[in-house]
Amino acid sequence: MKYRLVIDKNAQEEVIAVVHAPSALTQAIENLVCSFSGPGFIMGHAEDEVRRLEFGEIELVTVFDRKVIAIDAKGNRYRLQERLRDLEEALPSYFIRINKSTLANEHAISRFDAVFSGGVDAVFKCGHRDYVSRRCFAEIRRRYEGK
Amino acid sequence: MKRFAFEFVRRGLVACGFGPMVLAVLYLILERAGAMDMLTVSQVVIGIVSLSALAFIAGGMNAVYQIERLPLMAAVLIHGGVLYASYLAAYLVNGWLKLGSVPVLVFTAIFIVGYFAIWAIIYWVIKKRTKRVNTLLKRKQTEKG
Repeated sequence: MKYRLVIDKNAQEEVIAVVHAPSALTQAIENLVCSFSGPGFIMGHAEDEVRRLEFGEIELVTVFDRKVIAIDAKGNRYRLQERLRDLEEALPSYFIRINKSTLANEHAISRFDAVFSGGVDAVFKCGHRDYVSRRCFAEIRRRYEGK
Repeated sequence: MKRFAFEFVRRGLVACGFGPMVLAVLYLILERAGAMDMLTVSQVVIGIVSLSALAFIAGGMNAVYQIERLPLMAAVLIHGGVLYASYLAAYLVNGWLKLGSVPVLVFTAIFIVGYFAIWAIIYWVIKKRTKRVNTLLKRKQTEKG
């Protein structure tokens, strides 16, 4: 089997494998390519599709049932393969932590709501609502007030 | 939960030393006010043990504010509930509060009013902070946009 790498900055990036039949190798290549995240985007897995999610279109990244989920502006959910901890380092600085399991795109936050229980919720433009922990709210305040 | 239990014990042990000190000040105030001039051994023992336990619980319960998910108001309620029970028990055991429905109700009413005031203040502070953060958020979003 031959291996060929073409580097062309003007072409759209794609990986093509020419094989006689699907195999463990093609499956491994597919998994690797589908889960690869480059600068400015990340691969999100929905039920029947794998989508390239630009960082800017992600409203929040959160953990549901121990799975890392990205929610976009339309409220669509995509499963991510990266860990939240790794994403915190990879995502741009406009992603802020609002609690121990959620990173929020601050451009996508519609408002912060004080709730009667004494907590604070972040309300996103897509309608999603998540709690803001006291520690994170204090950090957000410091960040915005420049203290 | 394990972390909370550890923090509870750690903070409780730090605080419980202050119990007898508070008791000493309390006895002094009562003596100066003419409400008490003599103590029996059992009164002193009960006082020291109960106030140490009260200080342990009061100090340990501060760990409830370390639970990230717990909203502040819920933490205040849990903290207040436990403190109410502890204070009531300590007052009754030491005979500072007569066992009866009226004294207990008066004590309860004072406690509830105090806690309601704290609740209202906290809500007002959070509302104010949230409003300020929203203003700054909008400003930041406008600058970026």
